[in-house]
Amino acid sequence: MMRQLYLALVSFAAVLGANAQMDSVLTLISKIDFQPSHELHDGNQILLMGYSSTIGGSLNLPSPTLEFKENDSIQLDMWNLSQGPPHTIHLHGLDVDQENDGVPALSFSVAHDDTGSYMFKAPHPGTYLYHCHETSVLHVQAGMYGVIIVRPNSTDTMTWDNGYSFHSERTWLMSEIDTNWHHDTIINHTYDSTAMTHLVLDYRLQHFLINGKSEHQLVGNVELFASLGEQVYLRLANIGNYGNRMILPSVLNAQQVSSDGRPLPNTVLSDTIEILPGERYGVLLDCDAHFQGTGVVEYFNLNTGQVENTQNIAVTVDGYVGISEYLEEPKMFPNPATNQLMIALPESIQEMASVTIENMLGRRVLEQKISDKPIIIAPLVSGNYIVRIRSKGREWNRKLIIQ
Amino acid sequence: MKALLIFVLLCPAIVNAAIVNESLYILKDSIVVSSGEKLPYLTYNASTSFTGTNARIVLSPGDVLDLWVHNMDASEHHFEIRGTTPSESILSGDSIHIIHTFLENGIHVFHDPLNYPNQASLGLGGMIVVRDHSYPSFYWNIKEHKRGQNDTVLLGGAVDWAHYSPDFFTINGKSNPYINQDSNARVTGIVGDEIYIYVTNTGQSIHPLHFHGYHVEVRASTRNPNHVGRMKDSQGIYPAEGVVLRLIPDKEGEYPVHDHNLVTTTGANVYPLGLFTTILIAP
Repeated sequence: MMRQLYLALVSFAAVLGANAQMDSVLTLISKIDFQPSHELHDGNQILLMGYSSTIGGSLNLPSPTLEFKENDSIQLDMWNLSQGPPHTIHLHGLDVDQENDGVPALSFSVAHDDTGSYMFKAPHPGTYLYHCHETSVLHVQAGMYGVIIVRPNSTDTMTWDNGYSFHSERTWLMSEIDTNWHHDTIINHTYDSTAMTHLVLDYRLQHFLINGKSEHQLVGNVELFASLGEQVYLRLANIGNYGNRMILPSVLNAQQVSSDGRPLPNTVLSDTIEILPGERYGVLLDCDAHFQGTGVVEYFNLNTGQVENTQNIAVTVDGYVGISEYLEEPKMFPNPATNQLMIALPESIQEMASVTIENMLGRRVLEQKISDKPIIIAPLVSGNYIVRIRSKGREWNRKLIIQ
Repeated sequence: MKALLIFVLLCPAIVNAAIVNESLYILKDSIVVSSGEKLPYLTYNASTSFTGTNARIVLSPGDVLDLWVHNMDASEHHFEIRGTTPSESILSGDSIHIIHTFLENGIHVFHDPLNYPNQASLGLGGMIVVRDHSYPSFYWNIKEHKRGQNDTVLLGGAVDWAHYSPDFFTINGKSNPYINQDSNARVTGIVGDEIYIYVTNTGQSIHPLHFHGYHVEVRASTRNPNHVGRMKDSQGIYPAEGVVLRLIPDKEGEYPVHDHNLVTTTGANVYPLGLFTTILIAP
């Protein structure tokens, strides 16, 4: 009895010690629905497996989005209330060590009514996934997945330090549902620890989702409303078994700037973005004209290449970026320019402001601190340039024509 | 003068160049898939003995490949190095001779383009690797199979590719757990190693590979050369594509690599089989 009490105290002290060094400690509860509650666009409701931050209540699809700061030390606890099989959390793309990788045979799994802790750092700002890796073909389809966002230390409105600034962001996670895989005999399946293999059904999906919604459910849930001049950062991820092809209106000037939590060495200006299972893309939108229409996500079969479904996302660019934000913006003139360029900064962002000018190949041709003196651009050849103005962790990009 | 300039530019490659004599034999037999059943299969073999793994040709930049392809099967086949040499017919019992100089590092896919993709789907597809390094290198020839379909092709029947739904998934002709027993496929190394993985997809499905534990750098892609330099943990390999990946492991451990179309981690509806292997890195 004394020994058990001693062990309990030592364990408690160890947990406290570990927590004391953690920047972030959070808990997910893995559980199942006992009553179908996730409503599909056709009105039918299905059972889910999933993660939740609360014991009560029904599960959501996807599971909660987790947010961390760059280089945070994180303790992610999981309490398994599955009533049956063990579960894990695989931190997809975070490159954690083997012990915390969430693969049952190589890491650890958490049995029903037990708990486990994943300790890791998140060194690269970006978009990641988490999902169960126990019988993953079943448990991921059952709903055990969500998005992880790692933000840079400097500000929440930049892709990464010295990266791209944005006014707002959207996270769209694509997946699919085959309702036959959500039957009670699968979601509430008993656990046989001696079973080395599992028989699965043919995958014949009927529902194509964005953030757990499809068709008319997307209205009010998955839409893009933006103001003229607004820069929007899209975080796109695919946890399904089909490929996704997102086609955005050209007025959004979509630019792929990152993938899988890393900056792209060469950004891609394209209205079409292909996202395969497990991939993530960061796409910067620059809304430069009023617009009302739709973007689409095509779901294509990886075996045949054929598009089997298309989901429509309402896109509206209306109004202007707020006046207060406008007053905080740097002003650049004249444009077009010939020999000199002036950049006027509001007082609040004058300190440590700098400017770089890049040609259309992305090559830096000028870099200097901003002062009240004109910037000499006479040596630059005529043509189009991108001017990047940086101050206090924010960045403003402007097109410049030199004549 | 121009010819002299070209000669000077090519000199560094030519210094180490060699004429490499290779032969490939088209042979028909079968492979045993993960359910234990036999699948009729054809491969390009390095000798007249059948193996379920297509022969691999490794060259140095500047090497001249002097290649004979012999058709030991009872049916006509074709041979093509995609994007490099034209498709050539090889009648049963006949041979063709190809001479080609490979100047640059990279990867090339060879296959049988006759009635594409029917003949290639029987297994006839492999890789030519051109590299100027001796770093640890591993080779993944990814493919998927549909039960009964190979018999249909061999009997001259029509295949409904619009509804293709494969049920077996292999690397170098093997499924999990046998992939890790293939020393050419199973990536091993130590922390800090520079490791290269040469990947071809000789099947018809797109295979999105996910790496646990590490990001890999795309060093070459025959389909998307503009993707070179990307750091990825999930990399799609498209049909008939060749990709070169570089891994520099920063920590020890055993980490899975698998297709993230999770249906491919099954075999005949049984989990876990299919496209799943692990990387093993020692301290």
